[in-house]
Amino acid sequence: MNRLTRLEGLAATMLVALVVNGCAPIRVNSYLERGVDFRQYRTYAWDRSDSLSTGDPRLDNNRFFSERVQKAVDQQLASRGLEKTESLAPDVVIHLHARVDQRIQSDAIDREYSRCEDGGCRPFVFEAGTLLLDFIDTKTNQLAWRGWAEGGFDGAIDNQDWMETKIDETVAKILVQLPRDTSRNR
Amino acid sequence: MARRLLGVGIAVMGFVLSGCATVRVSSHVERGLDFSQYRTFDWGPRDALPVGDPRLDKDPFFRDQVEGAIEKQMAARGFERSAASGTPDVRIHYHASINQRFDVREESYSANCDDDDVCPARVIEYEAGTLVVDIVDERTDRLIWRGWAQDSVEGVLGNRNRLKRKIDEGVTRMFERLPRAR
Repeated sequence: MNRLTRLEGLAATMLVALVVNGCAPIRVNSYLERGVDFRQYRTYAWDRSDSLSTGDPRLDNNRFFSERVQKAVDQQLASRGLEKTESLAPDVVIHLHARVDQRIQSDAIDREYSRCEDGGCRPFVFEAGTLLLDFIDTKTNQLAWRGWAEGGFDGAIDNQDWMETKIDETVAKILVQLPRDTSRNR
Repeated sequence: MARRLLGVGIAVMGFVLSGCATVRVSSHVERGLDFSQYRTFDWGPRDALPVGDPRLDKDPFFRDQVEGAIEKQMAARGFERSAASGTPDVRIHYHASINQRFDVREESYSANCDDDDVCPARVIEYEAGTLVVDIVDERTDRLIWRGWAQDSVEGVLGNRNRLKRKIDEGVTRMFERLPRAR
């Protein structure tokens, strides 16, 4: 288990994590501001002023989506020793951004009018999502860490169970990149 | 497992999208909430969200049809319109928008179909209308249920009868997913 986590961390730092689905893998990436020692942070709070504009009317102002993301992040951060605080002076404030768009599988477009023997090259339209978490240092008001994931989200909005599973998986993949998790580095 | 789920999901989506002119509905709900605690409803303040579509927002016919359909479905689920002076248990908000979306269509009756009737498919762009209905607990001011219906609006916006039919179908099927009131 430990070994698996470390492997995941390795994959994340290599900026690529190929998951489940051939046509829409979840890719994660992160950015740590130069000179920031992430281990100095102990407490965090959510920015509640974010109005979540997602590009999809089903998700805009949808707390079943946004609160699930926050819950997943809360669990991940708790397991990494960061404490959520309602006080006025957290070390970092977290912003959440989410976006869902339709994508067209490009290799299929190239062969849009071709006839395929195996039926495997129909053009393919699917929903893809981006989930981004910004950690803002409240003392400097600068971005300290940003982590994000992009990947297939097809049909997930229309299926609440599946959406929640996807959110949990995606958040875990983003936050496994937190510097705290690989404290032997940096 | 995840891969299998995805495969099933894609298959289901493909089926739903290729079935022509079917309104797609779904919903999100507060987990574990007992809906039997609610009985009365009323309309919330008019939609304050910026991204509507004037072809729908400013159309009294559209608003009347949507509100009529929702009131009918709420009654069918055991909800009662609260008295004008009283406080309702829940308030309803709705929001309609139109977006460009893509879909895959198979060319039917095309000379390009092969002997087994496998036809070439191509990507088309269309205008999709989405109607989102929110039910908010009046006491806690929290969203407890959101339902939506989505379909192509081509040939629908300018045609009263078709618009009414789409609204009725979308609202009816969406509300089949709403837990019943007491």
